[in-house]
Formats: sequence, C-alpha cells, structure tokens
Amino acid sequence: MDLNWKSAIDSIPILNKAALLTLELTAGAVAIGVVIGLFMALARLSKLKLVRAGAIAYIDFFRGTPLLVQIFLVYFLIPKFLHWETLPNNYQYIAGILAMGLNSGAYIAEIFRAGIQSIDRGQSEAARSLGMSQSQSLRYVILPQAFKRVIPPLGNEFIALLKDSSLLSIIAIQELFYSAKIVAGRTYQPIPMYIAAALYYLIMTQLITQWVAYMERRLGKNDLR
Amino acid sequence: MIFVKNLYKSFGKLEVLKGIDCHIREKEVVVVIGPSGSGKSTFLRCLNKLEEPTSGEIIVDGIPLNSEVNVNAIRREVGMVFQRFNLFPHMTAIQNIVLAPEIVRKTNKTEAQKIGLELLEKVGLSDKANEYPDRLSGGQQQRVAIARALAMKPKIMLFDETTSALDPEMVGEVLAVMKDLAREGMTMVAVTHEMGFAREVGDRVIFMDEGIIMEEGEPNEMFAHPKNPRMQAFLSKIL
Repeated sequence: MDLNWKSAIDSIPILNKAALLTLELTAGAVAIGVVIGLFMALARLSKLKLVRAGAIAYIDFFRGTPLLVQIFLVYFLIPKFLHWETLPNNYQYIAGILAMGLNSGAYIAEIFRAGIQSIDRGQSEAARSLGMSQSQSLRYVILPQAFKRVIPPLGNEFIALLKDSSLLSIIAIQELFYSAKIVAGRTYQPIPMYIAAALYYLIMTQLITQWVAYMERRLGKNDLR
Repeated sequence: MIFVKNLYKSFGKLEVLKGIDCHIREKEVVVVIGPSGSGKSTFLRCLNKLEEPTSGEIIVDGIPLNSEVNVNAIRREVGMVFQRFNLFPHMTAIQNIVLAPEIVRKTNKTEAQKIGLELLEKVGLSDKANEYPDRLSGGQQQRVAIARALAMKPKIMLFDETTSALDPEMVGEVLAVMKDLAREGMTMVAVTHEMGFAREVGDRVIFMDEGIIMEEGEPNEMFAHPKNPRMQAFLSKIL
C-alpha cells in the first residue's frame, strides 16, 4: 500500500481551520442544548399535565428521529416558515447549529431530569420547610447539587455532539469531515486524509474529556466520597 | 397556636390518619409517641403542609392551611428538624443557616451572618461555622439543622424523630439543645422515642396508634398510670 502523506501534511492549515469551525459549531449547539435541556427537564417534572406532555413529545421526537433527518428538516423548514425567497449568507451555519442544539436539548433534558431526581427528597423538604418557594429551592438547593452529578453524562453528550457535527457536512458546512473529504477527492489520497481527520477528532474529544475531569475535580472538592 | 380538627390523611388506599383533633397552645411542649406506623410523622408533616391532608382542618398561628398561596408564609413561622438532618451538602454550616433568612426573609447579609453565628454558638458549634456537613458528626449535623430552622425565627418548632438516626452517644447533645429551647418557651411538637425528654420538658404527651390519638395527658401521670391498654403495651415494650 502506497500512501502519500504529503497531501495530508499540506492540508494542515485547512484542517486547522475546519477543526476550529467544528469546535465553534459544537459550542453553539451545546449552549442551545443546555438551555433547552434545563427548560425541558423542568417541564418534564412539572405538576401540570400539559406542560409535561409537551416536554415528553419534544424529547421523544428529537431522540426518536435521526439527527440527519432533523438537520434537513430544520434547514428547509425555517425559510418556509419565515417566507424567505432567498437564503441569507451563511444560513447553513444557523440551521446547522440550531438543528444540533434542538437535538442535544432532548438528550440533555433527560440527563438533567435524572440529576434532579437523584437528589434526596429530604433536600427539597428541608428547603420548603424553611419557607423557600419551589423555584428558590430548585435554584439554591437542588440544581447546584444536580449539576455536580450530571457532569459525567453531560461530558458524554458533548463528545457525541462534537462527533455528530460531521453530519453537518450534508448541508455544505465546511467543518472537519467536509474539508477532509474535499481534500481527499482532490488529491486522490483518502486514507491519509481520513486518518488525519480522525486524529483531529480524537484530540478534540480528548480536550472535552480532560475538561470534564477537571470540572469534576473542582466541583467535587467538598465531597469526602 | 395550632388547631387540628378531624384530620384525615390517606396515601392511596392506605389510611394513615383517621380523625385527629388536637389543640396546641403557645409555649407548650407536646411530645408525640407511639409505635411505628401509627401516623405520628405524617401528623407532624401535615402541620407545615409537607403532606397534604385528605380532609380536615388545620389552623396554625391563626391562618388556616388550605390554599397553596399561604403555604410559604406558614412554613416561615414553623421550623422543622428531620430525622436525617437534611443539611445542604454543598454549603458550609453557616451557609446552611443564613440561606433562608437571606432569600426568604430578605435579611441583609451581615445581619444574617451575625444571627447565624449566634445560633451556632447557642448549639455549641461556633468552631464549625465553615465546615461542610460531610465533615461533621451526626449529632453536630443535627445541631446545625436545629440552628438552621431557628434562624428563621419561627414561632413553632417541629421535631421529627430528630435523635433516631444518631449514634447513642450523640443523642444527649441534641436533646440538650432541644431542652434549652423548651425552657426558653418555644412552642414545640416533637415526635420522639426519648421518654426521658418527654418527662423532663414535655407539658403534654400524645399517644398515637393506628392513626388516632389514643390517650393524652401530663407526662409523669401518663407514664405512671397509662389508661389505654395499647399505651400500656407500648410502654411495657420500651421502658
């Protein structure tokens, strides 16, 4: 097997730029996902049946259909709803980040719900018995403890999201996978290019892993366990 | 101070409270005893609406406990201490104590801190202000929990088997704090198995079994001459 690594080495500047874009897309999606996730987790635990049903429907839909399909749906539905004749510049980035954020919101909602429900009932009883409202009890007592517990599964979700951002190549976003594919096609050297792309992904997921481990250590410092 | 009339509480098909009537006066120390499963804790938890009564009437400090609107207002005036302490593990002892005064009573930080330190001194834990609950013994945690409830300056204190989860050598230190409170004139309702406590500071003992009040009266008289056969049987087992 005769591999030409020169093409991969030459493409490092392109891959650097693409990897940065991948990180940005993931960060955007994480931000949207965490906000939606928290909101949906609380809705899922609401006493109001209708609110709860809405959250369940949301979670079921975004977990039960492929992200690839969701990306297309978001991409085509937004211009339809907003009656856009032509697509604005860089529209694919907005659609891409939004689709990924909506999707991860469903997973993060379940992660947060598990975290909130794992906190002993006595905690909220103590808070409520001191006269705190339900939202004060959540904010000061339950959520700070729950956040600490959900860091490991949240790290998983962020890693999955980073890797799934390669699906955005389908709407012509020049993230890491898309760029690797383009170079591979141009140079007829797919194997070095995809190995290079894999290494880039590995480095980025390792960064997230390290960051999660750091957060766990930092927030866990008051635990003797 | 607390009026309870015809209180019923069921969990699904299980009827736990079957018509409780009782009146607790200001500054009175009432000790609730009875076998496990008799509904003592449920009764206590109804008094600050941690449990929603199935039917019946409860009036606390002149306010009927009926709508969701006033429940936080009631709970501010009614402190509660739990069997398993329920301290907030992500906060130090002093943070546990000042949280509710700051966010519920809107007491300013310096004032809350001052009250908090005074209370820690009162329960004998001045030196533990900045410790996290994990680093405190059970007895110390429970004393912080009592200080936390007192920081809201409640008019009534509820104690739900506050010494049952403690190692025997720590029971005394918690009871001592409770006795001090009783002597200072706090209105108290305590579910407990500590008969010595009942004798020493209780104004009245309520004996519950099968969801009703079987007998009540002055502690020494009641322990010496129990009338109800169930109370006799209960006492013979624990004394």
